[in-house]
Amino acid sequence: MSIFAGIGQTSLEVLQALLPLVIILLLTPRFVELPEGFMQKTIKGLLLTFVGLTLLLHGINVGFNPASQLIGEILGGRDNRWIAIPIGALVGFVVAIAEPGLRVQGAQVEEASSGAIKQNVLVYTVSIAVGLAVGIGMARIVFGIPFTYIAFPGYILLIILLRFTEPTFSAIAFDSGAVVTGPMVVTIILSLAVGVATTTPGRNPIVDGFGMTAFVALAPIMAVMLLGQIYKNKD
Amino acid sequence: MKEVKDTMKEVLTAVAPVTALALLIQLTIAKTPPAVIGQFVAGAIFVLVGLFLFLLGVNIGLLPIGRTIGAELPSKGSIYFFFIVSLLLGVAVTIADPDVMVLANQVAAVSEAAIGRSLLILTVAVGMGFFVAVAMLRIVLGVPIQYLFAGGYALLMLLSLFAPADFIPISFDSGAVATGPLIVPFVMSLGLGTASVLQGRSPLQDGFGLMGLAALGPVLAVMLLGVIYS
Repeated sequence: MSIFAGIGQTSLEVLQALLPLVIILLLTPRFVELPEGFMQKTIKGLLLTFVGLTLLLHGINVGFNPASQLIGEILGGRDNRWIAIPIGALVGFVVAIAEPGLRVQGAQVEEASSGAIKQNVLVYTVSIAVGLAVGIGMARIVFGIPFTYIAFPGYILLIILLRFTEPTFSAIAFDSGAVVTGPMVVTIILSLAVGVATTTPGRNPIVDGFGMTAFVALAPIMAVMLLGQIYKNKD
Repeated sequence: MKEVKDTMKEVLTAVAPVTALALLIQLTIAKTPPAVIGQFVAGAIFVLVGLFLFLLGVNIGLLPIGRTIGAELPSKGSIYFFFIVSLLLGVAVTIADPDVMVLANQVAAVSEAAIGRSLLILTVAVGMGFFVAVAMLRIVLGVPIQYLFAGGYALLMLLSLFAPADFIPISFDSGAVATGPLIVPFVMSLGLGTASVLQGRSPLQDGFGLMGLAALGPVLAVMLLGVIYS
C-alpha cells in the first residue's frame, strides 16, 4: 500500500471543508474596509491552510489513526488489559505537557493571579489532570462503566466549583479545556480508546470507545478552578 | 521569518514527544507489525509538515482578518447583523477544522456509516455557530458568563436523559473536538477584536470564556440530532 494512497480524496474533502470560509472571507471587503495588501495575505494564508490541512489529514488517515487503533486493539485483547490504563495516562500526560497552547495559558494565569500561580504550576497541574482523565477514561472502557456515571458527577462538581471561583479564573479554566483537546488528542488518544473498546469483550466501540476527549476537556477546567481556590485562600 | 521559526518549534514540541512515545509503545508493549510502524512514521512526517503549513496559513492569513472583522462588527449595522455574521463565521470555521473532520471520520468508520460524516460535521458546525453568536452577543450585552455556563451545563445534563445511549459519548466528544486548531484561534481573535472596541469591556475578562461557552453548542446539537434520530 502506497503512503500516498487516498491523498486525492483527502484534498477534495479539504477543498469542500474550506469552501464556506473562502466565500465569507472573499465577501468581507464589501462590508469591512481592509488595509492595503490585506486580502493578498489572506489568500496566501488560505492556500497554505489548504496544503497543510491535506497533508495533516492524510498523515492522520494513513499513520496515526490506524496505528493508534491497532495499539488499542492489541492492549484490549490481552488478558492483562488493565495495562491500557497506565499507558493511556502516560500518553495523556505527554500530550498535555507538550501542548504549546498550555504554556500560553499558564502565562495568562500567572498574570491574572498577579504572580501567585506560577506558569509551571499550571502546566504540571493540568498535565497531571489530563493524564488522570485519560486513565479514568481507559478504566471506564476496561471495567465497562457507563459514560454518564463519570461525566455527570464531574459536571455537577464543575457547576458547584463555578459558584466559588472568581469570574476571571472560571473563564480561563474553560478555555484551558479547549487548549488541551488539540489534534494529538483526537488522533492518538481517541483512536487508542476506540481500539481498546473494540477488542475488550462485551464492549461496544460506539458507546464505550467515544467520550474520551470529553474527559480530557473536563480535567483541566477542574484543575484550574481548584488552583483558583488555592490562590483565593492564599490571598 | 520569526513566525516561520516559531511555528516550526511549536509543531515539533507538540507532535514529537507523543509520536516518540507511541512508537516506543509499538516497539515494546503492543508489538505492532513492521508495516504498521512504517506507515505510522510516514504518517508522522505528513502530520508534522501538514500541521506546520496549516498553522502558518492560519497565523498569517486567517487570524488578522478575524481580528479585523471582530473589531468592525459591533459598529456595522444592527445587533441582528452582528449575530448572523458571528453565526456564519462560526459555522464556516467549524466545517474547516481538522479536529472535527477527524472525529467525523472515526465516528463514520466505527458506526459503519450509521452516523454519516457530513451529517455530523454539519450538526457540530450549526451548534458551534449558534453558540459562537450567543457568546459574542454576551460580550456586547455584558451578561455574566457564570450564569451561561451553569445554565448550559444543566441543560446539557437534562437533554442527555432523552438522547439515545450511543449518541451521548459522541456528543460530548463533539464539544471537545470543536475546540480544534482553527476554531480556537479564529473565534478568540473575533471575540478579542469585539471586546477591544467596546467601552467598559476588558479583552482579558470578556474575551475569555468564549471558547468554553461555544463548545457547549456542538454537544447540544448532536444530542438533539440523537433525539431526532431515535
